[in-house]
Amino acid sequence: MLEAYIQSYNEAVFETDKQAALDVVNRALADGLSPEDIVFKLVIPAVELMMAFIEKDPDANLAQHFMTAQIAADVTEKMLEKFSNPPEMIGRVIIGAAYGDLHSLGKRIVTGCLKSLMVDVVDLGTNVSAEKFVETAIAEDAQVIAVSAMMVHTATSDRGSLRVRSLLQEQGLEHKIKLAVGGAPYRFDPELYLAVGADAWAPDGVTAAKVIVDLIREVKP
Amino acid sequence: MTPLQILTAAKNGNPAPRIPVFCNLLDQGARELGLSPKDFFGNGEYVADAQLRMQKRYGYDNVWSLHYVGKEAELLGCQEILFADDGAPNVADFVIKNLDDIAKFEIPADITKHPAWQSIADCMTILNSELGATHPLCAYVTASTTLPAILMGMDKWMELFLLGPFDLRDELLRKCSDFFQQQIAGLRKLGAKVLIYSTPFGSPYFLSRKQIETTVMPWMQRDLRPGGTEDIVYYCGMAPFNDVIDLVLDELQIASHYISPLANLAEAKQRINSRGLTCGVIDDIKMIHWSEAQTRAEVKRIIEIGKTGGHFLFGTGVMPLAVPETNIRAMIDAAFEYGRLP
Repeated sequence: MLEAYIQSYNEAVFETDKQAALDVVNRALADGLSPEDIVFKLVIPAVELMMAFIEKDPDANLAQHFMTAQIAADVTEKMLEKFSNPPEMIGRVIIGAAYGDLHSLGKRIVTGCLKSLMVDVVDLGTNVSAEKFVETAIAEDAQVIAVSAMMVHTATSDRGSLRVRSLLQEQGLEHKIKLAVGGAPYRFDPELYLAVGADAWAPDGVTAAKVIVDLIREVKP
Repeated sequence: MTPLQILTAAKNGNPAPRIPVFCNLLDQGARELGLSPKDFFGNGEYVADAQLRMQKRYGYDNVWSLHYVGKEAELLGCQEILFADDGAPNVADFVIKNLDDIAKFEIPADITKHPAWQSIADCMTILNSELGATHPLCAYVTASTTLPAILMGMDKWMELFLLGPFDLRDELLRKCSDFFQQQIAGLRKLGAKVLIYSTPFGSPYFLSRKQIETTVMPWMQRDLRPGGTEDIVYYCGMAPFNDVIDLVLDELQIASHYISPLANLAEAKQRINSRGLTCGVIDDIKMIHWSEAQTRAEVKRIIEIGKTGGHFLFGTGVMPLAVPETNIRAMIDAAFEYGRLP
């Protein structure tokens, strides 16, 4: 029975049909699956499947990325309220758009996927200063700072990721807090993340969640 | 032959001494005149002056009308643009803050009477009188299915587009399409000869082919119906769209295609073939860090793929301000050198 739900849920996500995905979840709950099963056996594997699909076929479209994140985050949020015990979180990430950047789609996709993967996300919004990223990461005891930049100058600015890197360096935090970046300029120049001092980058929001989870595991065994 | 004649020859597959070479130096204008971006973009005469100076210095074939992301939003009521000294302006005030605003959102009866149009008109009038007879004057127009992204933010628009309410979505699209039709007519009247139709939602990178066919295509057809598509260039905001080239040719009759550097150019050229103009575009973000030799090598690679059989143009993508002038020079020189035709 679970197999059938998994298949129907995955099809709905790939077709970007949110209502169909929610219908599958409701039917599964009515048939006796626990909220924990819904998250760990349905939602998380679907996100991981999308990650694998994107890795194999990078042409998966942005609508699929967006809906994967949107559906996963919504279902997870609803199911978490019904969990018998709070789940153990993998870690914590501070996310935001770079200084001078007002784009929010990319980080919304990343955030949705991360939440469904049991990562605490502190979203600082758009146009975030490097100082704010680092201060918040320290205060929140986060393992990763994730900086989204959709324009070339906000990706390469010395007030963006480069400044985050120098603050981490100055404060001796590089072994405790990792820096991930993402956004359109990095797709066009896959070496750019090195030039802006990041530890890792991802070509899309769904893959970014995987990259961030890997970075968390580097810092937090 | 004049650059305008060379462009026409490339589109029609007629003999010409070389391929057309296009370059979009938009953000560089403020630096050219030693002005702040805000002062620069606020005055159409400055923009025209900078376009003419840079075209004269580098010798590429085209000049650009006044444009930055957000200019269209200003025509529709946006009150704040975030200008940056080191890059492109950005919309800082969304005209549509929540879904209730869509009903209140109105398109001006005549956008050419809007104060924000004056600088565009001033710029185009100067460019047209200086180079209109010999050079292609380019202008940028945003498709109705993409314009909402700068009016309400891309994530909110994506949500409305995919999840509805669909009557509200379609109401917004109709208003944006009405705006588009006014804008393109106004630009044509001012002398624009090449209209870059920016339609990221027409790319399979954004949506599935089915979504493009069923939802986006009818709006693109509505946008472009008045005035036809002879002067239109299909452009998906640097996103690849090879898989819909045939669809665009058949359903929209757009013959000129601005191919993403992330797409397979040889495949695009093969698909378009002599049915239209393939524009090979350099990945100019990499030009920030490339040497002059690397820049030349990439120009050579692109032109070698595209120029056989004609129907080919060399062009640039976003041309970040951080690209060194030496690389701009190396790129243009190489494009003229390798773009010579037998």
